[in-house]
Amino acid sequence: MSARHRYARAMEWTYIGCMVLSGGAMLVITLIIPLGVFMRYALTRPLSWPEPAAVAMMVMFAFIGGAAVYRANVHIAVEALTHAVAPPLRRAMQWLADGCVALTAAFMLGFGAQLCHVTWFQTMAEFPGLKQGVVYLPIPIAGALTLLFLLERVWVGPPARDSIMYSDQPADLE
Amino acid sequence: MDALILLGSFAVLCAIGVPVAYALGLSALIAALWADIPLEAVILKISDGTDDFALLAIPFFVLAGAIMAEGGMAARLINLARVFVGALRGGLAYVNVLASSLFGCISGSSVADTASIGSVMIPQMVKAGYPRVYATNVTICGSVQALLIPPSHNAVIYSLAAGGVISVADLFLAGILPGLLFALCLLGLIAWTAHRQDLPRGEAIRLAEVPRMVREALWGLVTVVIIMGGILSGVFTPTESAAVACVYAFAVTMFIYRDYRWRDLIHLVHRVVKTVAMVMMLIGFSVAFGYMMALMQIPAQVTQLFLDISENKYVFLLLVNILLLVLGTFMDVAPMLLICTPIFMPVIAKLGIDPVHFGMVMILNLGIGLITPPVGPTLFVGCAIGKVTMEQVSKGLWPFYGAMCLALLMVTYIPALSTWLPSLFR
Repeated sequence: MSARHRYARAMEWTYIGCMVLSGGAMLVITLIIPLGVFMRYALTRPLSWPEPAAVAMMVMFAFIGGAAVYRANVHIAVEALTHAVAPPLRRAMQWLADGCVALTAAFMLGFGAQLCHVTWFQTMAEFPGLKQGVVYLPIPIAGALTLLFLLERVWVGPPARDSIMYSDQPADLE
Repeated sequence: MDALILLGSFAVLCAIGVPVAYALGLSALIAALWADIPLEAVILKISDGTDDFALLAIPFFVLAGAIMAEGGMAARLINLARVFVGALRGGLAYVNVLASSLFGCISGSSVADTASIGSVMIPQMVKAGYPRVYATNVTICGSVQALLIPPSHNAVIYSLAAGGVISVADLFLAGILPGLLFALCLLGLIAWTAHRQDLPRGEAIRLAEVPRMVREALWGLVTVVIIMGGILSGVFTPTESAAVACVYAFAVTMFIYRDYRWRDLIHLVHRVVKTVAMVMMLIGFSVAFGYMMALMQIPAQVTQLFLDISENKYVFLLLVNILLLVLGTFMDVAPMLLICTPIFMPVIAKLGIDPVHFGMVMILNLGIGLITPPVGPTLFVGCAIGKVTMEQVSKGLWPFYGAMCLALLMVTYIPALSTWLPSLFR
């Protein structure tokens, strides 16, 4: 197995990990918010933690899921011009676009890590067990993941059609 | 010069194909470097953009809509629509539009509407003798209502983009009449074409079947009652109502309708995470972009620019409609709302335009952009389901654009259509 193939497989598993984490977070939030409503109205014992816990998980699925979405090429992009130009120019634009994404991801990694470091010991009043720095941790992680997925795109090429990424397509749209 | 750096770099990045979310983030970075603003402020704004509790309503509405859309709700709403208009000449076209109105009450997504209604209706219409392109066009145009009719996650995005000062409940209520008016315009067009093109007459539903069809569809329509009733009565916040709607939608789909397989749920969650993560990241970066816009006083400059052209609010609304129709052909609804709303807010405040009314104008306008080439997600999905090319569909769309623009003009110039219902509940 070549190094490229091994890297693509590693990225496939990374993608699955991102989706499991993001999907799991979304399902947990979907359960804890109604739980908060139930405790407030049915048992008249309001809980303080569902809201901050849900927000922390939302930050996670927004960024970790956002990085995975980059690999799946689902992010909204304006492709009218890139489709209209000649192939050599299109390739140059693609390289430039990849470079811009790399810059943004590197910024998320570097400054995101700094933000986590600064806020690492800040606690939340409603959820003392959760540190603010932990809530922001998905930002640098997403930066690193985006760089890894970008490297795959540039070095190995787009993921194969049998990737798990495409397994969610409804039959009538395939 | 500041505006040129921020907006110019964003336009260039978008033009070379950088995903809009990353283009927003990078242009905010470029502007921060240009204006000598610490980059820590930009990352702080990006994090602020995603840790707002109100934002959670978006994934919940998308998830609830996806569960209902894929869990057999579409077929049941189509049956309900057939009860009312199925027997007319061009009956299936009416059914298509009416089913989209009903489906808009649960999905809030034009793409989901096209995929769900289209996969049932287009084959039926073709089999009944409707031209394939016509069936596709009716489906994609009808689906635009979903953006207006509550619950619409785009209304939540607009509220957030406006700084959270506009009530989501007001926006939900405001969308009802414009959504129905939009449907009426399309139904009027269908009535006109039904006789001119001699479209087939539909089959009447047997009276004995009606109670079952109504009962089955009502299970799904209760979702909108939970959402609107919960919010308006003050029992739930919009976020909580959306979460409760998710649990309800899941229970109805899996335990009452029971025609969705458990093993397909994992794919549904996968699809929803893809959609939602993309939107949430976009929101995070757009907050940093909006922060830079505010620091560079771009909204104030745009306000002055519009006021220099005309101080008449009707002229301003016309200019906005033209601008958004053009920009909407290139970009999706969410990024356009996130970018344009903070720019226009000071102008509409200055001209005395109700922000709820303006929100409806923006959402409808950008909704039409979803079905215009070259970039139209709903158009693409419609073409894939209808098995027709974009060129074929585009040629047949002109009468529909006319009907939709008529609806847009009425929503734009009759503010009461958007503001009357919210005023009743204040």
